[in-house]
Amino acid sequence: MSSPYIAAQNVSKIYQTRSGPVHAVEGASFAASEGQFISLLGPSGCGKSTLLMMLAGLEKSTTGSLSLSGEAVVGPRRDSGIVFQDATLLPWKSVFENVMFPIEILKLPQNQYQDRAMELLHRVGLSGFEKKRPHELSGGMRQRVAICRALVHDPKVLLMDEPFSALDAITRDQMNVVLSELLERYRKTVIFVTHSIREAVYLSDRVLVMGGRPSSIVMDLTIPFERPRRFEIEDTAEFGALCRTLRQTIEQAHHV
Amino acid sequence: MSEKNSKLGIGTESGTMVGGAQSQALSSGLRDGARSILLPVILALGVLVLWELLVRLNNIPQVILPAPTAILKIISAQHEILLRHAIPTVLEAAGGFLIASVLGIALAVWLSYSRLAREALYPNLVFFQLIPKIALAPLFIIWLGIGSESRLAFSVFISFFPIVIATNAGFANVERNMLKLCQSLTATEWQTFSSVKFPSALPYIFSGMKVAMTLAIIGVIIGEFITAQKGLGYLIVFATARAETGVAMAAIVVLCGGGLFLYGVVALAEHIANRRYGVPRG
Repeated sequence: MSSPYIAAQNVSKIYQTRSGPVHAVEGASFAASEGQFISLLGPSGCGKSTLLMMLAGLEKSTTGSLSLSGEAVVGPRRDSGIVFQDATLLPWKSVFENVMFPIEILKLPQNQYQDRAMELLHRVGLSGFEKKRPHELSGGMRQRVAICRALVHDPKVLLMDEPFSALDAITRDQMNVVLSELLERYRKTVIFVTHSIREAVYLSDRVLVMGGRPSSIVMDLTIPFERPRRFEIEDTAEFGALCRTLRQTIEQAHHV
Repeated sequence: MSEKNSKLGIGTESGTMVGGAQSQALSSGLRDGARSILLPVILALGVLVLWELLVRLNNIPQVILPAPTAILKIISAQHEILLRHAIPTVLEAAGGFLIASVLGIALAVWLSYSRLAREALYPNLVFFQLIPKIALAPLFIIWLGIGSESRLAFSVFISFFPIVIATNAGFANVERNMLKLCQSLTATEWQTFSSVKFPSALPYIFSGMKVAMTLAIIGVIIGEFITAQKGLGYLIVFATARAETGVAMAAIVVLCGGGLFLYGVVALAEHIANRRYGVPRG
């Protein structure tokens, strides 16, 4: 195996609060190779988003080291794209302008990325919506725009912080299919934070379960399904067994 | 809309019902629009008619309360004098407002980027926002004399705080994830400010500016009450001192007109900004 593309080594995050230090993450280590889809799974408050934000360079780790494509993470990087829980679209910009926002900020040549933006929108089923404003779209459509925006500047790493947890269950299933198809076309290394077990199993190559007090990575489960995956795999016994394993691990970690 | 239609229009019967309901909704929308304009106008006209009747039936002398028609007559007869006094008042109020807007927004920007300024200055700004600033008007005459400088400065002084406070609130309420997004894209401070912070704060800025516009006029009028040899405030004081209540009332009417005009300019600017940056509710 080649050297890890993303690595976290003994990473801890301690917040100082009035009632004393809070250990959000304690001694988390993992490594991912290029092109892998890794989910960070756990209940609310288990530090999975904190770990993601540290990988994004938006928060500093208290101890330990993080690296992305062989370089230490010291701050936000131009070669990563990020998707938040809410779409975080600029309400005064059109769908197309929102997708092009990273190009504007990174001062990349607009005309070279316009076609890519259009293609991304086409692939998530939003052709014809380019000129709409975010308030004219449904929650799922807005999140699709946010995913296009995260991919438009062709980042190597896609960081997603519970991107579908604000959506209803049916939309969420659709989004899982959309994302998985999109990643067949645009291969990325993905770190995906979620508290949905089924979502994690359906999308991931590996699921890292976070939990315990203080929180750390308590399980690293490889998901063996081949790609491209069909949604029907959710009905297989193997899928159910993987979900059961993860659920038991989460429960055990929670009752420490 | 189309989604709604297709959902509702499953059967042919309900399809026609949708059409009917739509035209009904449209006409009721129009009726609501007409109501919202007509009702207040009718009420205001009613009050004016009542006023007129009250004065005529009771033979109230003009020095106590001139009838609306009498005020109208004075306005048309003395429109030259009124206009001559209206111009400096409106210009000074507009000037005071513009200076207050530039200073207020600039200070709010500074507050949002400097923690020291925020901690040291902001509580004092809130304090100043709360005190009755009108009481300070005579001091401005001592400091700056009886010319337009003192009126302009006083007008800036009282209209400046709501802009700072509102703009500051606008910057403080920018969605945190939007700032994180900019940060994750390695945006510069200026990029974050111009593409996210300022547009997000615009509704707040305009609400502050609308308050400030009315205060700027009050500032100028107070100044004219105390010092001026011209301006509508001066005319009001001068006319009431000579028991020319009708002229004072006429000056007040013109002042209201000027105030509405200036407020309208700000509201128009807000409307234009809304079309570019606004978020329609719904």
